[in-house]
Amino acid sequence: MLVKSYYAALLGGATLLIFANSANAQICSSTVRVLAQPRDSLTLLESYKDEFKKLSGASFEFDYLNENDRRAKSRAEAATTGKYNVYYIDEANVALFAESKWIVPLLDYYPSDVNFDDFDAGRKKVASYNGVAYFAPVQGGGDLLYYRKDVLQAAGMTPPKTLEEYEAALAKLNDPAKGFYGTALRGGRGSGANVWRWMTYFKAFGGQWFVDGKPAFNSDAAMKATETYLRLFKYSAPGTQTGSWTEVTEAFNSGNVAMIIESSPLAGQTEDPKQSSVAGKVGYTVPPRPLVGGGYGHGLAIGAKANADEAARKCAGTFIAWATSKQNEERRLEQGIFGDINRTSVINSDAFKKKYGAEIGSALNETAQYTDVNFWVNADWPDLGDRWGIILEELITGTRTDIKGGLDELEAYANKLIARR
Amino acid sequence: MKRKTSLPAVFLIPPLIVLAILAFVPTIAAVNIALQNRELSFPNSSYVWLSNFIDLFGDRRFINAIWISVIWEVVTVTATMLVAVLLAIFLFERASPRMQNLISILFIIPVMLPRVSAAFVWKFMFNPLFGLINYPIKLLTGAPIDFLSLPATALASVAVVDVWQWGLFFSVIILKLLQTLPPQPFEAARLDNAKTWEVHFYIGIPMLGAPLISLVFVKMVESLRAFDLIYVMTRGGPGIATETLDMYAFSQGFVEAGKISYASSMAVLMMVATIIAFTVLWKWVRKWQ
Repeated sequence: MLVKSYYAALLGGATLLIFANSANAQICSSTVRVLAQPRDSLTLLESYKDEFKKLSGASFEFDYLNENDRRAKSRAEAATTGKYNVYYIDEANVALFAESKWIVPLLDYYPSDVNFDDFDAGRKKVASYNGVAYFAPVQGGGDLLYYRKDVLQAAGMTPPKTLEEYEAALAKLNDPAKGFYGTALRGGRGSGANVWRWMTYFKAFGGQWFVDGKPAFNSDAAMKATETYLRLFKYSAPGTQTGSWTEVTEAFNSGNVAMIIESSPLAGQTEDPKQSSVAGKVGYTVPPRPLVGGGYGHGLAIGAKANADEAARKCAGTFIAWATSKQNEERRLEQGIFGDINRTSVINSDAFKKKYGAEIGSALNETAQYTDVNFWVNADWPDLGDRWGIILEELITGTRTDIKGGLDELEAYANKLIARR
Repeated sequence: MKRKTSLPAVFLIPPLIVLAILAFVPTIAAVNIALQNRELSFPNSSYVWLSNFIDLFGDRRFINAIWISVIWEVVTVTATMLVAVLLAIFLFERASPRMQNLISILFIIPVMLPRVSAAFVWKFMFNPLFGLINYPIKLLTGAPIDFLSLPATALASVAVVDVWQWGLFFSVIILKLLQTLPPQPFEAARLDNAKTWEVHFYIGIPMLGAPLISLVFVKMVESLRAFDLIYVMTRGGPGIATETLDMYAFSQGFVEAGKISYASSMAVLMMVATIIAFTVLWKWVRKWQ
């Protein structure tokens, strides 16, 4: 215990020394204002406000909004008043924010000794636009197949390795009469909701968004991806047809679902008995081939308008570096905030293996090779993705049935979008 | 006759100026933005005049949103008034004065709940896996009904929440109005062997004509502002089955596209349509009275 405290104090002191050396004196002259979405890791930071105050000379303040509202508000706010020093942004809107110059390149103001390179390669990739890093990751990852070990064992099955095996397994395990379902899919609208899951099929079947600046998504790959996704909804739990992450994870963690393909941070919740009734019963592996896992990342970026001068940007950069430092990631690990661990040095540490076991760690490492950026990296992506999200929700819920008509409509919209740039 | 004092003008002009500023400045700003091509992700904009309005009439989601808004308005206003009148008559006829007071307190509680809280509570109750409403349905049929995801039931399910809040509240108001009516016409009708429904249909409701019409107008205005309820419960889904005009305008302005000029043009059209509809209805009601 004494030794642990000694090391913690030593590590804390060393981090402070690094920041102090890079800062020298008072770095911030006013409170750092952050527009964010609720994350346990950010709440945890609030317990260490004094540490940041000592380091920078100022405090910080979070305004939280849930994901969809945060996206809507941050876009409107950054385009108009721009009063936030730091924005919580994500892979889907980094291009829009960077191209609109609402944020500035991060590494110009990120202390070099905090080691940005330590972040997972996939997360650094989605945090960048045109090769320039714009945010430091707070959460991110790829996809995993989560399956109920007990259910598969009782059915004499092994985790599916291909899409065909996956569909056959869902058909076998789906038993609505007993309130048990094969899977839970995201049906609710949004580039980060139903479209996010659909894209893994689209990419698996060879789909591409644009070729030489022209829409290329209206293709056989999109048709096949949509048909497959709609077919799988036969085995999806009720409530997911218009639901997203929350409905899917609630259905799985409440024990009503056999297997799901979802983003990797869910593993932390699933293994937490306070949040999940299936803790200890879940197996983790890579999604069935040829699905291409959706690499994603959310993080903190420096606002351009509120930080008009270099000093203010340096202050925001210091806050982001502190908030995403190795020391704070180790605190998250200690608190069991699995989804918000992004540094390779922490993921590969003995403490991580001890806390989460070898299976999750090896599944994470293995899935990295099947993970890619599936969306169209462009400032117009949220607009195009959300438009497809609505059409896809209409198809899923049966308010329209013509897949080709939907794709034609999306293509016409895409042409309008690119014509105005 | 010459006026002796300028006091009315002194008191009236300042608030009228404030009201004029509050009413006209946002309206003029909205019209001005609607005539441009402003988007949040573009720093510059220019005047495109009526282009946004022309585009709207070729937009299937806008046409759909008009229909959904009209259906929402008709269904919620009619259902609220029917529930309110029937409940008020039932309480007036059957409950003791003490019970009437107690139930009145209970009926006021739903409308005092913030709309967002009410929407969350009902959304959870409609949940097909864990919801209270689905519990007996699962027992009886073996399968839950996903009320908020089915195109046939989604709008009606949201309307239930609206009617639950306002129908109960209005029933208390109508009950209190019934209590203020002179008892003699009711007694006379009963002496002539009129049935209960006849007493209220031919005497009670006509006597409450003016306040009931006021309640209808209040509910019409309130139903136009159902954005929060729909946003929390369905976000306009499934697909666009519950997407009203204000939902679609918000979605275009802030959620999906950042097209604030396009969204403003919808807001301007809504304002014009509302003014025309309310003026026609008002004149029609006055003539009818």
